[in-house]
Order: sequence, then structure tokens, then C-alpha cells
Amino acid sequence: MDVVDSLLIFGGDAVRWVCAALATLFGSVWGGLDALLNPLLSPLLAVLNPVCTAIGDVTYAIVRTLPVWVGLTLLSVLAGIAMLVIFRYMSNQTGITRAKDQISANLLAIKLYRDELRVMFRSQWGVLCGVAKLQRYVLTPVLIMLLPMMLGLAQMGMRHQWRPLQPGERTLMKVRFDAEHAVAGQIKLEPSPGLHVEVGPVPGGGELVWRIRGNEPGRHTLRFRVDGTVVEKELVVGDSFERVSAVRPGAAWASQLLHPGESRLPAGSPVASIEILYPAVDSWVYGADYWVLYFFVVSMASALLLKPLFRVTF
Amino acid sequence: MRHLRVITPVCLAAAAIAVALSQLSCEKKSDGLSRVVVIGMDGLDPRLCERLMDQGALPHLAALRDKGGYKPLGTTTPPQSPVAWASFITGANPGVHGIFDFIHRDPSKQYAPYYAAAETVDGEGGWAVGEHEIPITLWPFQHTPTQTLLRRHGTPFWDYLDEAGVPTWFYDIPANYPPSPSKHGHLCCLSGMGVPDLLGSYGTYQLFSEDTYVEKRDEGGLRKPLIFKDDRAGGVLTGPKNTSLVKPVDTHVGFDIYRHPTEQTARIEVQGKTIVLKAGEWSDWCKVSFTMKMPSFLPSVHVSGICRFYLQEVRPNFRLYVTPLNIDPSDPGDQRITEPAAFVGKLSDALGLFYTTGFQEDHKALSAGTFVDEEYREQADYVLSERLELLDYAIENYDDGLLFFYFSSTDLQAHMFWWDGDEPHPTRSRQSAAKCHGTIEALYKRMDDIVGDVLERFGDDATILVMSDHGFCNFRRQFSLNAWLRNNGYIHPPECESLLLDRTNPVDWSRTQAYGLGINGLYLNLKGRERDGSVDPAQRDRVLDELTEKLLAVRDPVSGEPVVARVDRADRIYSGPSASVAPDLIVGYHRGYRASWATALGDMSEEEMTDNDSAWSADHCVAAELVPGVIFSNRPVLRASPSLIDLAPTILQEFGVEPPETMVGGSLFETEAVTTRD
Repeated sequence: MDVVDSLLIFGGDAVRWVCAALATLFGSVWGGLDALLNPLLSPLLAVLNPVCTAIGDVTYAIVRTLPVWVGLTLLSVLAGIAMLVIFRYMSNQTGITRAKDQISANLLAIKLYRDELRVMFRSQWGVLCGVAKLQRYVLTPVLIMLLPMMLGLAQMGMRHQWRPLQPGERTLMKVRFDAEHAVAGQIKLEPSPGLHVEVGPVPGGGELVWRIRGNEPGRHTLRFRVDGTVVEKELVVGDSFERVSAVRPGAAWASQLLHPGESRLPAGSPVASIEILYPAVDSWVYGADYWVLYFFVVSMASALLLKPLFRVTF
Repeated sequence: MRHLRVITPVCLAAAAIAVALSQLSCEKKSDGLSRVVVIGMDGLDPRLCERLMDQGALPHLAALRDKGGYKPLGTTTPPQSPVAWASFITGANPGVHGIFDFIHRDPSKQYAPYYAAAETVDGEGGWAVGEHEIPITLWPFQHTPTQTLLRRHGTPFWDYLDEAGVPTWFYDIPANYPPSPSKHGHLCCLSGMGVPDLLGSYGTYQLFSEDTYVEKRDEGGLRKPLIFKDDRAGGVLTGPKNTSLVKPVDTHVGFDIYRHPTEQTARIEVQGKTIVLKAGEWSDWCKVSFTMKMPSFLPSVHVSGICRFYLQEVRPNFRLYVTPLNIDPSDPGDQRITEPAAFVGKLSDALGLFYTTGFQEDHKALSAGTFVDEEYREQADYVLSERLELLDYAIENYDDGLLFFYFSSTDLQAHMFWWDGDEPHPTRSRQSAAKCHGTIEALYKRMDDIVGDVLERFGDDATILVMSDHGFCNFRRQFSLNAWLRNNGYIHPPECESLLLDRTNPVDWSRTQAYGLGINGLYLNLKGRERDGSVDPAQRDRVLDELTEKLLAVRDPVSGEPVVARVDRADRIYSGPSASVAPDLIVGYHRGYRASWATALGDMSEEEMTDNDSAWSADHCVAAELVPGVIFSNRPVLRASPSLIDLAPTILQEFGVEPPETMVGGSLFETEAVTTRD
């Protein structure tokens, strides 16, 4: 039993070590990729985000007349249709049909020639090749759809992930600084009718944190004076369905992609990001985190259902 | 095979529906049954109620009194909360439910004290892997994990209602942890007094401060040092023990503190959550997850707790108080605090996070000097406000059947702030004592408003009972029962200072005839019963009579007043299957006196009588007839001398359920002549 226990412990330790190594490797690769992509994607997103936000505002101006879950359903169905259309024209439909036929034929061969080992192995290899081909044909439209999908999801996130601060409701606001800048003792938040500062700022850990309370409803601009410059952040107070920008990002493209509601902070600013911890939307359908699940289920289901109508094969 | 294909999904669907229905068992539903609402206010005192009612300060309770719906309510011997509430629950004397004091002992281990209402039993077996021992409850291993067992015996009255199909809701019911199971699914219960915190104690706060130099445990709390560098310090919360280890050790969660260089503000960063506070502010509830490390090939187990941070001071001495780690109602894990188990999740969904420990007011922090009066008052007020939200939920989700709701505020605030009358307080000035008593009067008025609200919501559509388990009195002088026994030659050697802890002069059990344990209990060291018994059973009556006579003769050396009002022999006042484990004598003190703090766990001071200089300056562990509770109702109380054991039969009869033979009381709404049963 001791041997078994030792083996189990050794095995467990080994698995943990491998996981840790993979995480480090993934981190390094991501870091490299991030450094490589940032000069390209950051300016691109700086251009795309305002356009997408304008489109998002127009779209939601239309659907906000509906109950929120109906609007989300409608957008999900439309996204499903859009995916179908993109898939229809951006994929090699003939190739996909051929690959699917190849897979079907080889599966049939496996069923028919169970006793013929050579045929079995050859057919299994054929299935694998068919699946690989299928993946290759699917990859092109998926890559084409990736960026618009991410931009669309980020727009939806600003409406479904967080909600505006209600008047009287308490939350935190964080200003993070670049590593090379010490926490600016001279930062000053100008008074705004949108909020009441309860406590703060409390410095430490490369950031300043305020505890604030929502005040007058509306879309307010908060102004921070720091090191002779002015940095702005949007604050939304109210109890209606509104676009909410939780973070005003810095120059990191990933942060810009996730938080497209406000322009990135100017290069050279001592401030790295400004975040307001808005309350999460509370709903099992269209609330924080669940809306993504709901969106994928509905868009996929509508794509599957409407597939024959658009004569799409996948 | 085809049938199997059909039957399997049908069975699965049926099981799913059954599970869904069982989850819904705590939904409100109407069957046109009677409605009985019981509001339990622990320690609500009849003398103070009567005085305030006469002054017109409690109009709603006074209105009930004017309609004949008020009487003092006889309590149990001894009048301690676990004993009294267990009698309320079973409608029987302690000989039936087996709770005679806060503390009991195991005679086979010769003086091994444990909490009377619940006991944690160590697990048996386990898969030993390295430094871990993991209990596997599945066949064929069937190891027994460590578990807490309810030690209250007897049948709770709600079992009879459950069997009769009457829905019952209990919120914060004392002396019912872990909650007793429902056989028929009509019971919803949130356990109250007796629920431990995540450390397994009855409330261990943690205080982080700059003026603590070495980590230490004081009365009810852990004190930990903080060292700031560049206005940043790190603290470590102590969590539950990792019981999967052969030698269990505490789990910990670290947190960072940033304090403002000049202002009285600070920030706490714990597990990705940020809390910003001004000095004198409390945080909201904060979830903290403790990791129980398992062998490397198994995933770690996480235990979720909740706490609130209170920033007492930033400068000159940074002090941060953290409440006892409560069981997380949204994620209680293996800790079962409700029946059915899913009920706590429903409460949490509706109300968010809330105190789940049995003792919610942190009286230990006040006793230890961690809190000042105002801080304790604020914390206790928060507890009450949270309970009022729970009461709102309880009423909103109640339609018919029985609704029981318990308030601890009237007890745990009274223990700390009550000082009734002109006699000098051992530690407070007359003005300060009067101010504190004013807090209690204000609290009684608030409770009266709650009663008014309940009366308004239900009118005459429900039978409403407002009751308490005992009253209150000053606790001025403390009597060291064990020191008295030692000085009178019942405990040997005469130099002994503790039954448990004195290593220099350990107790000589072969010559020790009697000892005190708990607050009112006195045990003979009886041969054949105690492991090292010395008193011959033939001498039992003689020794008990001798002790009774001597105790009744004890006088306070300062005032000359008698200290003990009565001494009861357990074999004469208790009957039932558990009577044999009762103390031999129950010491009933006069008002103003009580057993000393040291007595409860077997310590003894040099002097027999000392001033009670604790912040816990009022009590009720005296002779039962000196601290009755109260019963108010919107119907006339006809029973001439109602007592706690009448509540259960009254409630059963309201629903047409015949009380069992073990319940010797009768309905409050009938005279004794009508309800006396053989």
C-alpha cells in the first residue's frame, strides 16, 4: 500500500509540476505574442472601438424598447444568421461537403468491414483526414468571424455585464499607475454631481482607491488632475438599461478589446487605467456572465435551425 | 432492454421532480390551516416589561396585557438558555431532553467538560496517505468523518406537527444544532444558538493591531501583531483546521493593509476583494475561502466563510477587528445549519450574507476590552437590523402553520448593559450604569414596535405568542463554588487551584467528594459512576443533605446577605430517561449573585466571594423563581401559573394535535383544571 501511495503522491506531484510548467510556458508565449501584437492591434482598436460603440448605441437604441431578454434573444438570432451568411460565402462549401462525404464513407466502411483489419485502419485514417480537412475549411470563416464577434461581444458586455450605479449606491473607483510612476500624491478628483466621495483616495500597491456613492442620475465625466494633466473617466448613474464602461483602458490591446466604451488613455500618461467597480447585472438570462452563455446557445441554435434555409453546410 | 430504455428516463424524470418538490418544500402554501406565530425574545424580563408598560413605554405589549394576554412564564431549573429552550422544544423537563447546563461532563473520563447541547465526535478510520488521513465514506471503506451531533434528546414538538402535515418555520431556533431532520418534509428550520463559527468555537474574533507584539489568544479572541512598512502591512486570518491531516493544523488566508499616510483611512485587500474604510467603520460581509490541502493527486478542498472588518483606529495604533468567521450561508459546504439543507441557500438568495453563528452579538469582545460600550452597541444593533430583515422575509414567506422567530438581542445586550436599581455597580459609575440601562429600555421599546408590527400584519388571523425563556437580574458578586467546596474539605488537596489545569497540586480524586461544573451544577464524586469516584452510594443522601444545608447557610462576607436561595436535588425535580446524567444538586443563587466565571470549567479562586468585574454584568443563572420569563398573547392566558413546558402542548392543540404523554404541561388558553392530565 505504501508503494501505491508513494506512486500516487509522486504522480500527483508530477502532474502539478507539468501544469505549473505549462502555465509558465503559456504565460511566456502570451507575453511575447502580446508584445508583438500590441503595436498593431492597439492603434487598430483605437480606431475600431468608437465606430463599434456608435453601431452598438444605434442597435441598442432600437432593441432597448423591448424587454432586455427579448432584445438579447433578437441580437443572438441575428448574430446566428450573420454567422451563417459569413460561413456561406467565406467557406469552401464544396470542400466541406466532400470532406463530410469522405468521413461518412469511411465510417460506413468501418461498419461494413469490421473483420478486415487493413480496411478498418485505412478507414479510420480516412476519418481522421476528413476531420482535419473539415477543420481546415472551417478555420477560414472562423478566423474571419473572430474579430467582429469579439468586437460585438465587447459591445454587448458593456450592456449586460454591468449596470449603472444607482443613486445612493456604494462602490469603489481605482486609478492604477504605470510601474515607473510612483503613486501620485498630487492627484485630484474634481467634484462631480454624479458621485459623492465617501472615503479616499487611499494609496498603496500602485493604485489609488476611492469609495464613492452614486449621486445624480446621468452620464457624467469625472476629471482627475494628475501631474499637470487632466484624465477623464465616464461615470453612469441611474436605474435604466445603459451602456456602462467599467474601465478606461491604457494602451494594452486586450484591455481595449474588452472595454471599448472609452478611448485608451494617452500615451505617456502616468495613469495606466481607471476602473469603476459597477454592480453586476443580476439575471439568470441576461445578467453578468450568463448572457454570454445565453447568447451562444441561442445563436448556435438559430444557426442550426436556419442552416437549410441558407443552404449552408458545416 | 427496450423497457429499460423507457423506464430509465421516466425514473430519472420522476427523481428530478421529487428533488424539485423537496426543494420547494419551504415555499409558502396555503391549506387553510390555523396560524400560530411565536416570537421568542431571549431573556425578556417581566419586571422591566411591567415597569415600562406601566409608564406607557410599551404600548403594544400593554394592549395585550390589558386583554388578559400576559403572565410571567415559569422557567426551568436552572434558568439557563439551552436548558430552557430545550424544554420549550420538547415540552418536557430536563430529565427528558438531557440538557442541564451549558456544560456537561463525561463521568467515565473523570471531569471531561463539553458543551451540553452538541458534541463534536472525532471520525473513525481514514485512508492514510503521507501526512494526510482522508475519510472515505463510500463502501467498502465507510470511514466516519468528524461530525457534530445534537445532544438534545426527547422529541421536539414540531415532529408531531410534521407528522400531522402542519407546515412549520423556525428561524434561529436555539438548542437545535445540527438541526433535527424532518421525516415528512413540513419543517423548515434555521438553527440559532449552538451553531459554531468556522473555527468550531462559539465566536472567536481576530484583532490585528500594532500594539500586539506576540500572537496570543485572549477571552474569546485571537490577537495578532501588525508591523507597517511604508504604510503597508500584511495580516493572516486564521481559519478552520485542515482535518484531513493526521495532525490537523490551522488554515490561513493572508491579506494586505494599506493605510493613508496622513488620514484616518485604510484599505484592505483580501483574495481579490478591496475594502476601503474610515476609522470607526464596518465593512459589509466579505467572503473568505480557506484551502484544505489534500495529497497532491487529489484536488484541494475549499471552505468558505464570511466575516466583517471593523477599522477601529488608524493612528497612532492601527487596530483592525475581524468578526468570528461565520459559516457562509451561500456556500455552507458540509456544515448543515438548516433543515432542509437547501433552505439556507434560499435565505441567502433572498437576503444576501448574514450572521450564522449562534452567538451573534460579540459580547466576548466587550468583555475582553476589545470593544468599548458604543462599539458593542453598534455591532449588536447591526445584528438586530439583520434579524429584522430576516423577520420580514419570514413573514412574507409564511401563510399558515407555525412560524417561530427568535431574537437574541434582549439577552446578549442585557448581559452587558443591564444594571437595574440603585445598588452600586462593581465597575461602572452610577451615571454610566444608568446610561447602559437606558440602552436596554430603548431596546425593549424597539421590541415592542416589532410586536406592534406583527400584530398589525396578522390582526386576529393568527394566534400570536411573544415569550421569553427567562428574565434578568444584576450580577454583582460571584461565588466560587469549587473554592467553597475546597475550603470546606470536599475537594482535596486544600492547595488545589484547578480541577483541570493545576499541575502543581493536582486534585486528589480519591479524597474529593464533590465538585462544581457549569454554572449551577454540583456533582458528587460517586463511586461506580465517576471513574475515580470516592463517595460510597450509601453515603449519597447524607452528603447531599449536608451540602444543601451548608450552601443555604453561605453569607456574603461583605453585606451579610444570603448567597444561595435554594438547592434542588436532581433526583427530586427531574424525571425521564436522561435524568441520570444530571448534576446531583442544582444551586439556585439569589439575585445579584452567581457562580464565578472560574467555577464553570473547574477553576477556583483563593477567595470564595469576589466582585464581578466583567462587562458581563447581568445574568439569570439564579434560582428559577427569581427570574421568570414572560408570555404575551393576543388571546387571554387563562392558565394561572404558565411555564415554558406549556408552550409546546399549547401549539400542538392549536393545530388539533394531541400532546404526547411526555408533555406534562397544558394549554395556556385553558385553566389548569381543564388541562391537567394524569
